Amino acid sequence: MSEQDGPPLHPLERKVLEALKGRDWVDFDSVVRDSGLIPDQVRRAVSWLSSKGLIGVQEKTVRELSLKGEPAELLLMQRIGQAGLPMETVRGSFGSNQEFAAALGNARSAGWIEVSQKDGQPFVAPRDRKTAERYETFVASLRGKAIPEDQIAAEYRDYIERLVSRDMAKVDETRSVSLRITTSGDDAISRAASAGWIERITPEVTAKIRLSGTSPKLRPIDVSAAAPGFYAGRRHPVKEFINEVREVYLSMGFVEIAGDSVQPSFWNFDALFTPQDHPARELQDTFYVKGGRDESIQRTGVVAKVASVHESGGATGSKGWRYSWNVEEARRLVLRTHNTALTIRATQESGDREMRVFSVGRVYRNESLDYKHLAELHQMEGVVIGEGLNLRHLMGVLTRFYAKLGMSGVKLWPSFFPYTEPSMQVMVYYEKVGRWLEMGGSGVFRPEVTEPLGVKKPVIAWGCGLERLLMLRLGVQDIRELYNSNLDWLRRRRDIASTQDIL
Amino acid sequence: MPVLKIYFSRFQKMTGLTRETIVDRLPFLGLDIEGEDADAIRIEYNPNRADFSTDYGIARALLGLVGKELGPPEYHVRKGRFSVRVSSSVAHVRPYISCAAATGLKMEDETIRQLISMQEDLHNGIARRRKKAAIGLHNMDVLKPPLSYECRPATFEFTPLGSDRKMSIRQVLGETETGIAYGHILEKAKGYPILSDSAGTVLSLPPIINGSATKVDTSTKNLLVDVTSTDRRIGDEALAIICAALSDAGATVESVEVEYTGERVVTPDLSPTTMKFDETLAKKMVGLDLDHSEMVACLGRSRLGLDKQGYAIIPRYRVDILHPVDLAEEVAIGYGLDKIQPLYPPSKEPGSLDMTNSGLDRISESVAMAGFTETMNFDLVDATSLYSRFSRSPDLRIEVENPRTIEHSILRDSIVPSLMAALARNVQAAYPQRIYEVGRVFLRDGERIAERPRLAALSAHSGSSYSEAKMYLEALLLTHTGEPPQTRPAEHWAFAEGRTAEVFVRGKSVGYIGEVRPSAVAAFGLDVPVSGFEIDLATLH
Repeated sequence: MSEQDGPPLHPLERKVLEALKGRDWVDFDSVVRDSGLIPDQVRRAVSWLSSKGLIGVQEKTVRELSLKGEPAELLLMQRIGQAGLPMETVRGSFGSNQEFAAALGNARSAGWIEVSQKDGQPFVAPRDRKTAERYETFVASLRGKAIPEDQIAAEYRDYIERLVSRDMAKVDETRSVSLRITTSGDDAISRAASAGWIERITPEVTAKIRLSGTSPKLRPIDVSAAAPGFYAGRRHPVKEFINEVREVYLSMGFVEIAGDSVQPSFWNFDALFTPQDHPARELQDTFYVKGGRDESIQRTGVVAKVASVHESGGATGSKGWRYSWNVEEARRLVLRTHNTALTIRATQESGDREMRVFSVGRVYRNESLDYKHLAELHQMEGVVIGEGLNLRHLMGVLTRFYAKLGMSGVKLWPSFFPYTEPSMQVMVYYEKVGRWLEMGGSGVFRPEVTEPLGVKKPVIAWGCGLERLLMLRLGVQDIRELYNSNLDWLRRRRDIASTQDIL
Repeated sequence: MPVLKIYFSRFQKMTGLTRETIVDRLPFLGLDIEGEDADAIRIEYNPNRADFSTDYGIARALLGLVGKELGPPEYHVRKGRFSVRVSSSVAHVRPYISCAAATGLKMEDETIRQLISMQEDLHNGIARRRKKAAIGLHNMDVLKPPLSYECRPATFEFTPLGSDRKMSIRQVLGETETGIAYGHILEKAKGYPILSDSAGTVLSLPPIINGSATKVDTSTKNLLVDVTSTDRRIGDEALAIICAALSDAGATVESVEVEYTGERVVTPDLSPTTMKFDETLAKKMVGLDLDHSEMVACLGRSRLGLDKQGYAIIPRYRVDILHPVDLAEEVAIGYGLDKIQPLYPPSKEPGSLDMTNSGLDRISESVAMAGFTETMNFDLVDATSLYSRFSRSPDLRIEVENPRTIEHSILRDSIVPSLMAALARNVQAAYPQRIYEVGRVFLRDGERIAERPRLAALSAHSGSSYSEAKMYLEALLLTHTGEPPQTRPAEHWAFAEGRTAEVFVRGKSVGYIGEVRPSAVAAFGLDVPVSGFEIDLATLH
């Protein structure tokens, strides 16, 4: 296609041009009829064609009048007939005094009637029935159909305007469009006819190609034109990120574990040497299930060992917390506050074998929601059980883990958790903001934790929130945005894999 | 966690360290810097280190870490002239009292502020909101020994701190701020503990409030400290922490004799405690081959000592040390965590992913491939979306205790309401809207809770129908079970009568499908038909 050929014609454009070909101004409705298209298609084609100068467009506004109610003065004329009637009779024939007054006033000022005295009573008689009848004929022409304003005789113009102001008639404004093909339009249609473009592949087309070996051309189209809106199915960003974290752990030889959200307090707290009066166990921080208890927690076996560690240190050489441990408190059902509730069970089940496990899952905190707090969020906890493991190994594992998630440095600060000793806060370096970020806790499980579970080897453990890293990746400022199911965002956001470079 | 404010000018005078060193090293004591301005720094500390509740305690530890002062600080107690007689009447309510005197103090405004903040932090921390112990600081010069600690009736009157008139104990408990906050601790008591002197001056009504007569201000030279408790050990520990700070502030600590029925005790005890130091354990844990003298140096920088018999010498204020591993940690901190080099332990075996998680993920992937957008909603929901909007009885609801917001107060037993709420928040977004969630629901199982993995999907747009939902469900179940499901007419609270079916796979019920009830659609503020399904994924395989 050379430049002088002009832009290719869309099939809609072609049909409209064909409807206009060889004619003068044609109104829009006729084009719709003659082209066999629906009005919306014609409108689109007209807008393209006129912008290319292939047709001329004329628009004008037409005011059309139609009747809404029955003018009372005409009713009055009908009722009094040729002979006239006493005023009281006429009044009685109207629904309301107001309507009667309007009818009488209008008919009198138009000079259609006269009011006289007959037998001592007011009497209404026609005076100019002819004119009144002409008006009646005019009004009848408006009943049930609209008449363009310019087709209304000059005589009735004032009257119809009064009817409009009395809300007896209404005016509708409609835009009328007329179209005429231009010389370039004529050229375009003849060119299109001779080009031999095909619109789409059909069995007829392919048959022809196979038979004759010809190679028909598809009609060129406007490739920059807008396509219909569509959104692909998507995963949730948190799920995408969880999968990335799972793959990182997998690549480091970790076994994934999963478990229930609702846990007996025993596994969430007691087994982790958290004393029963510890502030973290209070209602204002932790969700307890109303009326929920796990009766399987009995003061025997592991539970008994844990209880005596709390009370006196048991067989660990520790002083213990030195209070009276209560099994009822350990039975209360809690929404897990960390996934260590799961990794600690795996530690027990390890039977002191070397092992590395992780769990990524939801944890629950009794928090009011704001831009940095949620009541439900995700953490990724890991533990490694191994002969001779120490602080350097803990740092080694954390450094590798965060490096795989794109963070360039790890350092540890002393901290405190009831179940680890040493306990360390994990700081990771985030290059984009050029500072260290607090990522979570880590440490070596205390003997008070491992001994009752029958584990002699050192266990290194850590946990960290998932949302904070994800927010940095996605550029989200308010943590609530991750979970408010905002479809505009969920449909348009970048895939997590494409945000690795941001870190 | 408690937060402490430290003024640089005062702290630099106490330590002789530069501002840069202070800011750089504090984190290596386990202190988080919350904020910093020209004059002061705000630091957060873990409440297990109760000795960090004043700048004196922090200065003490920091001087060790930077190597300016090594080993356990020594504290002396001079014999004092005060004694307390403890009546057996307090035995059932708050049986123990430990006291100390501190003389020759120079009280600056900041010293008072530090002491009050320490008192507050100890109350909230080791004293468990005053339940286990309560601390009172008094102007000793107005007191006439001996003191007496005994129970009084609710009608007993004294002038409490912050008031200018006498009040009965009953009034104090009912009308004052601390009375209302802590009165429950004395709730079941037959009498109320009162500490007073021989002239009848009331020092305190523990654990509620002090008397007004013994109020401490900048003119106070000599202090009397009382700690009443339900656990004598906790009381003694709190007193030791306070006395160490007062001693560091320049006071002379004096003893007080406490006379119980049949027992005489002298408090405070500021002598160090000991614990067998396990050098091998410390080495193994830190992963460093330190020799004995290096080990002693590390302990010294943590303000601990080591005697010839191999026992660690632990200052009385270090109440957090329970086990030899705690000493090993002190070695690591004394060595400097920043100097420890990471060492990655190679994995001996390959890892693996949890089969259930991976299975759920595959199903989720399929739903997304069918064109649905995944959402993640909370497990804790509100009664309105779970019950009222579906005109459904809340009788079987599973509530959590004391939720902060009612929006998160009930564990959901279905995902469809969460998805409806999500659709309701998105009426401005382009339709069709097809959303889903693979998540958990919670069902009652006696006193326990059963958790089930479920898939719910909804399609909302003007042409949404039962048949569209069934089209998607058949495709999904064909993919994941190898056969299309059977649907039999059924009733369900979420779906409309006549347009609801129970879904069966190989004869087993797996969930429900249908068009959401018009009343629910309207109640959620939606104006388009919504159809979908909820399937129990654990029953699929």
